[in-house]
Amino acid sequence: MFVAIIASFHVIASHLTVGAAWFNFYVERRAVREQRPELYEYLRKSALGLLVFSYVWGAMTGVGIWQSTTAGNPRGISTLIHNFVLFWGSEWYMFLIDVVGIIVYYYTLGKVDPKTHLRLALILALGGTGTLSLIVGILGFKLSPGDWLHNGEILSGFYNPTFWPQYLMRFLLMQTITGAWGVLMASRLPRDFPERQKVIRWAGTIGLVGMAGALLVGRYWYWANVPARSKALLSTNAFPAVTVDLLIGGGILTAAFLLLASWKPQLQSKLGAMALFIVMFSTVFGAERTREILRKPDVVNGYMSSNQLTFTGLPARGIESEEAKLNRDGVLGSLPFLPAADDIDSGPSPEYTDHRVAVGRQIAIFECSGCHSVSDQTVIHLGDNQLALRQQSALLRKISANDEVSIRAILDNLGAYPFMHAFVGTDEEKDALAAYLAATVEEQQGPPRRCRRPR
Amino acid sequence: MEVEDALRMMRDPLGAPFYPRVFQVLLLLTWVVHIYFVTVAVGSSVTTIYGFRRGDERWLRLARSCARLTPSGVGLGIVTGIAPLLFVQVIYDPIWYASNALTGFWSVIFIIVVASGYTCAYVFYLKGSADGRLLWSSVLGLALLVLAGWIMHVLASVSIRPEHWREWYAPNGVADTRGIEFHSFNVARVAFLLPLQAAIGTAVTGLIYTWYRLKRDDADREYLTWVAGLSRRLGIIASVLYGGVGIAWAVTEGADYDLTAPMAIALGGVGLAMAAFFAAHRDPVGIGRRALGAWFASLAVVAVIREVIRATALSRFNYDVGSYPYRVDWGSVAMFTVTTIVGVSIITYMVMVLFQSGIGAGERIPRSIDRLGRVSTAMLGAWFAFFLLVGVYAVVAL
Ligand code: HEC
Ligand code: HEM
Repeated sequence: MFVAIIASFHVIASHLTVGAAWFNFYVERRAVREQRPELYEYLRKSALGLLVFSYVWGAMTGVGIWQSTTAGNPRGISTLIHNFVLFWGSEWYMFLIDVVGIIVYYYTLGKVDPKTHLRLALILALGGTGTLSLIVGILGFKLSPGDWLHNGEILSGFYNPTFWPQYLMRFLLMQTITGAWGVLMASRLPRDFPERQKVIRWAGTIGLVGMAGALLVGRYWYWANVPARSKALLSTNAFPAVTVDLLIGGGILTAAFLLLASWKPQLQSKLGAMALFIVMFSTVFGAERTREILRKPDVVNGYMSSNQLTFTGLPARGIESEEAKLNRDGVLGSLPFLPAADDIDSGPSPEYTDHRVAVGRQIAIFECSGCHSVSDQTVIHLGDNQLALRQQSALLRKISANDEVSIRAILDNLGAYPFMHAFVGTDEEKDALAAYLAATVEEQQGPPRRCRRPR
Repeated sequence: MEVEDALRMMRDPLGAPFYPRVFQVLLLLTWVVHIYFVTVAVGSSVTTIYGFRRGDERWLRLARSCARLTPSGVGLGIVTGIAPLLFVQVIYDPIWYASNALTGFWSVIFIIVVASGYTCAYVFYLKGSADGRLLWSSVLGLALLVLAGWIMHVLASVSIRPEHWREWYAPNGVADTRGIEFHSFNVARVAFLLPLQAAIGTAVTGLIYTWYRLKRDDADREYLTWVAGLSRRLGIIASVLYGGVGIAWAVTEGADYDLTAPMAIALGGVGLAMAAFFAAHRDPVGIGRRALGAWFASLAVVAVIREVIRATALSRFNYDVGSYPYRVDWGSVAMFTVTTIVGVSIITYMVMVLFQSGIGAGERIPRSIDRLGRVSTAMLGAWFAFFLLVGVYAVVAL
């Protein structure tokens, strides 16, 4: 969740940056062609805003996503980096152009000749577009690695099946965001400004066209390339229905606003345009969340699962499936960060009096804690309230799996849920996990009969 | 499991897409630029606070310039930090991910610390630097930047001590997944890398500033001469301490890896050389560019020393960058090379424009620079065609 919020902030900041850069290029070109120095005042304000918020915050939220996924899922990020480091390095250049560009753009405004400054505006717009172009391939890879799963070619992974539709879709969405930005900026002009209405109408129309195009591309081209298993996920519990509402509702509202802007530009006010932005932000949030959820429970769809183990091999790159081996030898003691079962003490804390329970706890942390709150340590306490994520004991209680035997039966069939992977490890390890889960159900949910109905 | 096997297993099975040594060199080069900007951010922040405390006119003027420099320094420090972050994960993924996991709490809030530090510095610049109000914002910003540097240092320290990971991760066999403890650090190393490099870096930047400003016709010679003299004195004192603390680093962390002698010679030598450089130029007004060159050379030596420590620490477990698995991927290489050419020319152009405008020649940019601008912008446009063509190739031919 934390990551999701930073991520949508990041997406918005970056798309807005690029949209605004193109818009500013357009404004500046008119300023130069038609000799309208008064437009430069607008450009100066806009550039300062972008300098402080979009670029630096865009960078920081980007690094933030990276760092938090590193902590939570290092091997996932490692797969991306080892595939795409040189693409990422290329993106870094583009980003460097953006950052150095906006600094130079801002500090030279009015101090260099207009043609040179216009060129800087163009460089900024192109650089931003380049940054977005390069990230599309990396994002799409996680959902649809495509031929990479067979041939192991990095280029196939980058230009994957959802790359092209997503690229076009983002380009069209950028029009929408640019249009919205234009509406916002123009509605800040005084009402009697001669071209206020014209710009608003024009921006609204561009936005609408972009949006309609994006919807068509998304529905008919993008969706057709999403792997079937991922589509099935949408009808399960793993997918919060509110996300879809957010997406559809936000989309309709955005369209309505833009329609109003192009139809009756004189009605536009600053407030309305701000509201448009908020609505659009939540839409983007919904869309990005959907894309992220679609690849669950995998980190890289069809290659690595959320427990960070490769479940299929990649013979083209000489990689074997790790899961097969671990089911034979057990996970404890076979993976670098997991102590062997014999090395695990029951310890002094009452939570792990039984050795088997202590072993099970280790396994739960390793295999389940990515998506569930398992022990109290992964629950955030706020005073007396607990902020738990899909608390496992509560889920088990809900389906009346209160004892080791019934829990054990569920573990046998974990892979049947579309949003979870099968258990990895030996039978003893599965027993230990069942023992631990049974203990947590009892400890955290109380005896079965006094069961608090979860929601 | 033995540490050696663990390290080997934790390497990503995909390997690197190009010769691992090349990534190592890129790591060192980009780190040098990174550390330059973040230390300047720290140093300018200290100067800001000191200047406003002093309160006489020259100091106020300097403090205001520094207040403006800090946010830019942080911004550029972040951007130039991304590159080493990328490369370190290519060739040192086992130790980098391990230390991030072991220091999980700090690693996750790291960027929040940096972002807050940036915001504080920025708020002071925007709202306070005119009259010195809100100085606390600048102080808080400084504290946060130093904390950020400390976290970076702990991450580096933990990463080169794999022999302790097990006990840090699961004391008594019970895993602690919070990662809130600073498991390993070396005070001499941080003192050397952060405050002292901040002092020298700021001194060098002061000299560059002087040199650059003097190119303007309306330059205030007296003030700039004062800034240069101040920078020189700061440079001399800080460099002497730098060498001394470098030797302290050599006899503490260096001793763990039998590196005391080479480290003491290299780091003490760098300190001495920088001190001599500053001391030798009794008239420091025009030496900005040379000072910057000398400083980057010194930072490069420090980068190499850091790398030697890491390589030595890991060689005990037979981990060696040279033997990292790789498979050359020409598609990636082509993309990176082309983008490097485009990126470097565009950035060169933009920095030249900034330079010209700063010395008041923005209205008549020299022909050659303008031509560079035209060509590099066209290349940037053509880059998109290249980008899409590679894609077409990938779809059709692979
Ligand atoms: C990739 C993320 C993920 C991982 C890893 C994961 N789960 Fe789940 N699990 C989910 C989701 C999503 C749900 C649905 C939550 C809901 O119903 O609200 C779920 C539901 C459950 C349920 C309730 C099923 C039902 O019929 O209602 C159980 C029991 C469960 N998980 C056990 C486990 C165990 C045991 C592990 C570790 C071996 C595990 N999960 C690992 C995502 C995950
Ligand atoms: C602004 C606050 C920052 C400060 C003060 C700072 C300071 C430092 C210091 C002192 C080191 C050396 C640590 C040591 O060797 O002991 C370092 C290394 C490093 N920094 Fe930063 N840094 C900052 C921000 C960042 C950011 C935002 C990033 C990432 C985007 C970053 C990426 C790196 C990387 C990857 C290394 C390690 C390189 C290696 O291990 O070779 N830094 N930094």
